[in-house]
Amino acid sequence: MNKLFIIIKREYLSKVKKKSFVALTVLGPLLLVLLMFLPALLMKNSTTSYDVVIVDSTPKTVINGDTIAFFEGKYKSNEKVVFSYNKDVAAAQKDLKDGKVDMVVEIVKSNDKPPIKTFYYFADNEPSVEAKENVQTQTEQIFKNSVLMVNYNMSKEDIAIVNDPQIASYITDIRTGKESYSEVKMILGAVLGFMIYFFIFLFGGQIMRSVSEEKTSRIVEVLVSSVKSIHLLFGKIIAVALVGLTQFALWIVLSLILITGVKVAQPDIFKVNDKEKIELNERVVTADKLNALDMEQSTAQKAVQSLQSINFPLVLSMFLVYFLLGYLLYGSLFGAVGSMVDDDADAGQFTLPITVPLILAIVCLPMVMNDPSSSIAQWLSIIPFTSPLIMLVRIPFGVAVWQIVLSVFLLILTVILALFIAAKIYRSGILTYGKQIKYPDVLKWIKKK
Amino acid sequence: MNEILTVNQVSKSYETKLALDNVSLKVERGDVFGLLGPNGAGKTTLIRMINQIFKPDKGEILFNGEKLNASHIKNVGYLPEERGLYKKMKVGEQIQYLAQLKGMSADDARKNIDYWLQKFSISDWYNKKVQELSKGMQQKVQFITTVMHSPELLIFDEPFSGFDPLNADMLKNEILELSRQGATIIFSTHNMESVEQICDKIALINSSHLVLEGKVKDIKQQFKKGEYEIIISGSYDDNLLIDGIELCGQTNENGICTMKVKIEKGKNADLLSNILKYTDIISYKEILPSMNEIFIQTIKNTK
Repeated sequence: MNKLFIIIKREYLSKVKKKSFVALTVLGPLLLVLLMFLPALLMKNSTTSYDVVIVDSTPKTVINGDTIAFFEGKYKSNEKVVFSYNKDVAAAQKDLKDGKVDMVVEIVKSNDKPPIKTFYYFADNEPSVEAKENVQTQTEQIFKNSVLMVNYNMSKEDIAIVNDPQIASYITDIRTGKESYSEVKMILGAVLGFMIYFFIFLFGGQIMRSVSEEKTSRIVEVLVSSVKSIHLLFGKIIAVALVGLTQFALWIVLSLILITGVKVAQPDIFKVNDKEKIELNERVVTADKLNALDMEQSTAQKAVQSLQSINFPLVLSMFLVYFLLGYLLYGSLFGAVGSMVDDDADAGQFTLPITVPLILAIVCLPMVMNDPSSSIAQWLSIIPFTSPLIMLVRIPFGVAVWQIVLSVFLLILTVILALFIAAKIYRSGILTYGKQIKYPDVLKWIKKK
Repeated sequence: MNEILTVNQVSKSYETKLALDNVSLKVERGDVFGLLGPNGAGKTTLIRMINQIFKPDKGEILFNGEKLNASHIKNVGYLPEERGLYKKMKVGEQIQYLAQLKGMSADDARKNIDYWLQKFSISDWYNKKVQELSKGMQQKVQFITTVMHSPELLIFDEPFSGFDPLNADMLKNEILELSRQGATIIFSTHNMESVEQICDKIALINSSHLVLEGKVKDIKQQFKKGEYEIIISGSYDDNLLIDGIELCGQTNENGICTMKVKIEKGKNADLLSNILKYTDIISYKEILPSMNEIFIQTIKNTK
């Protein structure tokens, strides 16, 4: 036991002291915060806008003595697309040729179908897809609004309601009374799944390299004359797991520090309203109440609120359980592969069978996210080789307890089997030099007493 | 009981190949024991079993009369033929780590590291990474890791390979010094010259069988063919020889003749007195076979 501890200590320290560990530890949280702020930063930085001139050549209508243009003056500019108007197509096209504007759109009414036609003119650059789509959508919307106003004499307020009825949906778990936010759960599930995938490869690869390093440098012969080979392998596996947990802990601490920094700088984002609870049996909700609620809640606040609807202690503890078990399963197999190869170039043929189930799980991930309770999702979350990844994707949506218990139980059994097999392969593999190892050899090693 | 190591009818086979077949041998305390044999004979397998890397399929190995177990690991030092160290680890930390794995306490290890680094006058290497050292330097570090924990039994597998002559000589003296201090040494080698210089006893293994074992002196006696070298003044003459003597070769140089003769048992005195009738004898000595000859002859005979 004492020797196992000495091995773990060396392996742990040698990995934690590596520059790559320090870099990953610092870069992780930085990247996270950067991703949070990048969209906002990009928005601020893109100052160049796309100038569009609208030429409304459709006939004007007179209502209650007012002359009303169908399209002119009704386009909404944003940071990217800025609208201006011109009555003269020729003048607008001249500006375009001179490079003063980026695009000219002429809107014409005709007697055939469709009655409204738009002509896009551009000079130096093809019209940007974004600007074109913007114009297209706005034109359709404006046409609809104008028809409602001119032909049906509707008020602006009524038109607004028709266009955006704001039918709110409140999905509530009748047992817990909590609201459900599928999108956030989907994202959380996907992030957890990808993290497991990434960490298994990262840490499994570390074990493999560490084993094959000892084999190729031949120090392993001295090592196995001092300690049991099983201590050597398990010492590595335990040490790399501790390295992983250290990394998680540092990431959480660093991220919390950074997020606290953001909180201080941008307190609004994280302020959650004490929203009036809408009772389950309260069928009639007045429009005022809804409006009041929506007005007060920014999107960010909604996101924060939806995050609170997730059972984080469960998700986090399940993440740790599945990370550790998944890591032990794949890590021990990667360790076995490390003992089979004389140089890293040979590793491919043996790592492939290990990585196939992981890749299969990643391929099935979108399907599982789409319908977390489908039968394929259930199967994949119970079968040991894919369960660490797929079950985590399902956990935020809520999974029956018996499924979790069965999945963990099967995974533990498989882990024990994998450790046993890995120890057998490792014992023979590390001392087999200068010989191309084939699968029949490996089978013999496993069978050997 | 003076046997430090007893190998008792040990057999071991790999998947299909028999590596050792019913091998028995004894190493006594203080011996410098040569374990000889051509490549692939089973030497390394035997050494790995003594180091508890493998267990024998049949038979047993006793250490100080006890069946080999984990408590003996700290009493054995092993320098394998395939050397290796952690390239990115510092010399001092590395020696300490390997010593601790052998069962030394951290404090004892630190003291011994200082002693050995000073002995080899390489104290300033303590904080160097192994990859910064030359191959010869790495060998010195490896040697220190082998002897650091002052084991009773030291096993060297081809210790001189990779050393330049100067360092090989230093290593040889170091090993003999350890032997004088009471350590038992097992040498595995096919460098017969070093065997003659160092070993008291040898065991020769060929294609998984023990084919020869004993004291170097006794084996040489056993293999001698009754050949002698006689140097006389003057030149060669057939009259010098008598019946029962076979001339194997002679050279004449500067009025001195060197003869190689095979003498039948009991005819030594007759031959010498016959020669003395004609001329003076400058030297007379028995030619013992070299270990190299014995090695080759034995291997050929057992094939």
